[in-house]
Amino acid sequence: MTLALEVRNLVKKFGGLTATNDLSFDLAKGESLGLIGPNGAGKTTVFSQIMGELRQTSGTIKLYGEEISKLTTSERIAKGVSRTYQVPRPFAELSVRENIRVGLMPDSLREMIFGAPDRNREAELAQSVGFAPKDLDKTASELAMGDLRKLEFARTLATGAKLLLLDEVFAGLTSGEIGMIAELIQDLRQRGFTFLMVSHDLPAMEPLVDRAIAIERGTMLANGSFADVLGDKSVRASYLGES
Amino acid sequence: MRTLDLRPHHLVLWAAFIALMLLMPQMVGNGTLRTMIFACYLAMFAISWDILSGRTGYLSFGHPFLIGIGAYTTGILTRRYGIPVEASIPIAVLVTMAGGLIILLPALRIKGSYFALVTLAVMELMLQLVPVIRPDLTGGTRGISRLPALTRGAENGYYLAAGLMLAVALFAWLLMRTRLGTALWAIGMNEESVRGSGLSTTRLKSFAFLVSAGIAGLAGAFYAHYLGSITPRSFFDINILFQIIVAVLIGGAGTIIGPIIGAFFMVFLLEWLRPYMPGTERFFVYGSIALVLYMYQPKGIMAIVETIVSKMKGSRA
Repeated sequence: MTLALEVRNLVKKFGGLTATNDLSFDLAKGESLGLIGPNGAGKTTVFSQIMGELRQTSGTIKLYGEEISKLTTSERIAKGVSRTYQVPRPFAELSVRENIRVGLMPDSLREMIFGAPDRNREAELAQSVGFAPKDLDKTASELAMGDLRKLEFARTLATGAKLLLLDEVFAGLTSGEIGMIAELIQDLRQRGFTFLMVSHDLPAMEPLVDRAIAIERGTMLANGSFADVLGDKSVRASYLGES
Repeated sequence: MRTLDLRPHHLVLWAAFIALMLLMPQMVGNGTLRTMIFACYLAMFAISWDILSGRTGYLSFGHPFLIGIGAYTTGILTRRYGIPVEASIPIAVLVTMAGGLIILLPALRIKGSYFALVTLAVMELMLQLVPVIRPDLTGGTRGISRLPALTRGAENGYYLAAGLMLAVALFAWLLMRTRLGTALWAIGMNEESVRGSGLSTTRLKSFAFLVSAGIAGLAGAFYAHYLGSITPRSFFDINILFQIIVAVLIGGAGTIIGPIIGAFFMVFLLEWLRPYMPGTERFFVYGSIALVLYMYQPKGIMAIVETIVSKMKGSRA
């Protein structure tokens, strides 16, 4: 089994607060893993450490077998991992096409200046997440929340990453939009993408993951099948307040 | 050409603009030409500022510092060491890029108002230091005078300034039409997302800074030779900074033609007001115009023009 991601004994401290507490988990290539926990459990902090946006206090993170803890965010993305955010972060005044173009850009000044944008690939990526050709020239500020999520997906896919970290991917979406995004994720799973996913919408998340881990205050509570994790006593106590 | 996505109307507009600038000496007198020369230099300063601040959102309050390095370098080299201007100006550009890089680049790691304050502090520091450090070279508070002139007469001076401005504008326009321009624009909207798209924002910002500094140094050096003398107050001054920023805001940040329109609008407005308000109070007028425009159309005159054009297109369709 090839591992896409190996997190070992990850610790992140902010002064006296331990946001990630000795967390370890693996993610196999092509697998989809749900990361659940109540508000403030430290899920996004884990994402930020994997992406290098936050440096861990201790512990290791390996991507496809290679230790990436010392790499910058752009270097990690070049190695094949990318993320979406709880609140989509589009380039509001750029068009859908230009937003995707930023994701497709090589991290080289020379190529950025002298290379032509791949307009076919831009259109292809936009269409792969459900945009119509007429949407390509719309500015991001004109888009509804569902379309902003799709745009973020397209830009994330444009980086060429095969391991995608999806943070609260269903937040702020209508039921129709949730169905649309879920369909997109299923399609990408069939195409061999690997997912680490955070969502509070557990019913929507369940069919999209192979297994789940639950954390609270940065500490692992349970790891196993989605049903087992949700049935775990400590998870029910922390998530649902059951005693 | 696919790199730049050039369309026929771009070439037509550039050709019309160049033709208008070339014909100007036939249409106006020497007094107006001298005003236009200053407008051309201000436009170059504004384009330089806009490449860094208008695109990436990093507000530089230290641009007069960069312009001043260019001016002082060529001044010192030509007057103190007898180096010809053909060599002193390229050296001034390189020194501005290197000096700016060493002093201001670390500031690119900080954001927002902190970046603006650090750059402002550097400019103020230069204003205080230049007169006291090596006054034998800088001329102290009296500065350096009798710099070699590059042209004789208003018409030649205008052609030089206008030609230089057109070259700078065309270069900046072409550069900003590449993917690099899109990336710089994207940094101004959301730097984290640019980083999250796999791009090194530090490298991109540094490049924008170098280009911006290079243009500031070039324009500063030519401007110094046009003026014929330089003093600390004439370059490292907050009024220069305000004129640059207001020109960009009035014309429209993030465009190339916007800073040019803003610079010409502002310089001619100040000249027109001079007989009625001979003192510095006329600066209140342009400040007020900038404020009102910024309140109602923060993207400046260019956005107003674009709105009118798109409405005309809409009504024709």
